[in-house]
Amino acid sequence: MIPTVVGISIIIFLMVRLMPGDIIDILFGADIQVSEEEKQQARIALGIEGSYPEQYWNWASGVVTGDFGQSFRNAEPVLDVLLRAVPITFELMILSLLIAVLIGVPLGVISAVRRDSSSDYAARVGGLVGISIPNFWLATLLLLFTSRVFGWVPPLGYVSFFDDPLTNLTQFVLPAISISVFTLAIVMRMVRATMLEVLSQDYVRTARAKGVQRRLVIYRHALRNALIPVVTVVGFEIGILMGGAAIVEIIFGLPGVGYVLLNSIFNRDYPLVQGATLMIAVIFVLANLLVDIVYGWLDPRISQH
Amino acid sequence: MSDPRPTNRPVLAADAAGDAVGAWEAMPRRRLAFLGRWHNPIGIVGAAVIGFNVLLALFGALVWSVDPDAQDAERLLPPSWGNPMGTDELGRDVLARIIHGAQVSLQVGAIAVGIALVAGTLIGLFAGFHRGVVDAVLMRVVDLMFAFPGLVLAIVIAGLLGPSRRNAMIAIGIVITPAFARVVRGAVLEVMGFPYIESTRALGASSRRVMTRHLLPNIAAPLIVLVTVYLSTAILAEAALSFLGLGTQPPEASWGGMLNTARSYIDAAWWLSIFPGAAIMFVCLGFNFLGDGLRDILDPRLGPTVGDIPVKK
Repeated sequence: MIPTVVGISIIIFLMVRLMPGDIIDILFGADIQVSEEEKQQARIALGIEGSYPEQYWNWASGVVTGDFGQSFRNAEPVLDVLLRAVPITFELMILSLLIAVLIGVPLGVISAVRRDSSSDYAARVGGLVGISIPNFWLATLLLLFTSRVFGWVPPLGYVSFFDDPLTNLTQFVLPAISISVFTLAIVMRMVRATMLEVLSQDYVRTARAKGVQRRLVIYRHALRNALIPVVTVVGFEIGILMGGAAIVEIIFGLPGVGYVLLNSIFNRDYPLVQGATLMIAVIFVLANLLVDIVYGWLDPRISQH
Repeated sequence: MSDPRPTNRPVLAADAAGDAVGAWEAMPRRRLAFLGRWHNPIGIVGAAVIGFNVLLALFGALVWSVDPDAQDAERLLPPSWGNPMGTDELGRDVLARIIHGAQVSLQVGAIAVGIALVAGTLIGLFAGFHRGVVDAVLMRVVDLMFAFPGLVLAIVIAGLLGPSRRNAMIAIGIVITPAFARVVRGAVLEVMGFPYIESTRALGASSRRVMTRHLLPNIAAPLIVLVTVYLSTAILAEAALSFLGLGTQPPEASWGGMLNTARSYIDAAWWLSIFPGAAIMFVCLGFNFLGDGLRDILDPRLGPTVGDIPVKK
């Protein structure tokens, strides 16, 4: 966990440094009045002075104490910007995960239990469509649909859930649906595959043979075991949700972490790029750690190792 | 760390990569013969869709010979016989731009996956062949790459390199390289365990000869599955990057870029939003159908059913 985060931070640090273009030249542009000394002072102020190990040490030791540096643009501490953005991305991801799991798991079970029926085929084709539809197109389609059919567009300007839950949810429902469809389809396909595998196990046949009801076998015996690999997939999906969130945040104007990251990239605001990327990667690593814990808890065979 | 599947859970890397590994492990050793028993409707539909798209990219511009950049029609015309997909905000023919976009997406997909295929194969081959420190270091870096959400990493790399189609291809290639490296390494480790490798070594074959003549041909099958899967990922990623303004730059036509401009005309011109997105989905659907079909054929684990309980074959 800790070595991973250190490794990630080194990769991010190097990525930002090794890219072409000198930030100082970009900041001062074609202004030839600026002397070398002033440039040097700017470098020190921005923390891009000295050798790479020095720079990394300064950045990393700051990050550990919560000091991510300051934004190039408005000198606002990066941490403040990120702390404002994280709850938005979190809410988006939790909502879309809920949609994906609550709809995907039942669909997968139905599809597996009624294998090769028309509902199975419908669910499978639907699943393939779901993993093929680009989330940014789906978002556009949803906007097109609601504005054409209902004459409704989501209210502009982000409102916090705690200030006005209803407005907040109406703002989040379309973006959450747009990014959840891919995950929903993956969860459905995964549940279908694992259910099929579990249903062909001997213990399922035994349970059936000794007269346990079909429903009970499916939901008590089979689904429990079938869900275990699904948890892992959900953990991986969090990464895809974060990528998706970055795009729909732009489309719907929600100032989450992805929105901050993209703007900082276009502004060449390196401290913010570093901070936002690190934040996203760390959240992703934590999410996977959580998944591993849940996994060992669901499947005692793992924690015994 | 020594095995791509450390516990009995599937590879975290990607659902797709995991499936590819699974398919490889379950695959009969005389693979590729599966092409002979292709009675799988989903796979055939997928292959047909991809074939159509390739033809569209190669010859579409000859059949529909309208210049995708010519601004000679009226602006924002709805679809009609003269402009089957309407015209955009500058009076350019949308169909011609969709065809150009097909070329762009196919090119980006092929080059990005090509980068990942070459780099990933080299990394995986060396790690799996030499083991030891080389392996530990390379796989540690690969693990770290997986600690980033893929699209976010692509956005950051493309953004830092500077927005352009070339940089988008590089970024996508870098991001999907670890998946190839992992699968190749896993396959190499498996093949290395076979006695014939040992006998070849005993006969005095050099490392290079073992790698090129004995390892590479035997790991080709999982690579084929992986390429199909990641072509669709790469095409989708290119569209996303272009949509965000980090890929193909306007005025050149690309599906993602067209969707981006379409957002400003969502009320005035629905056709601008519909057709490019449908094109992206169509292609990805083709690859996913093909991938699914391949997996159905390659994975013999799922047998028929008896009553309401499926049984093993």
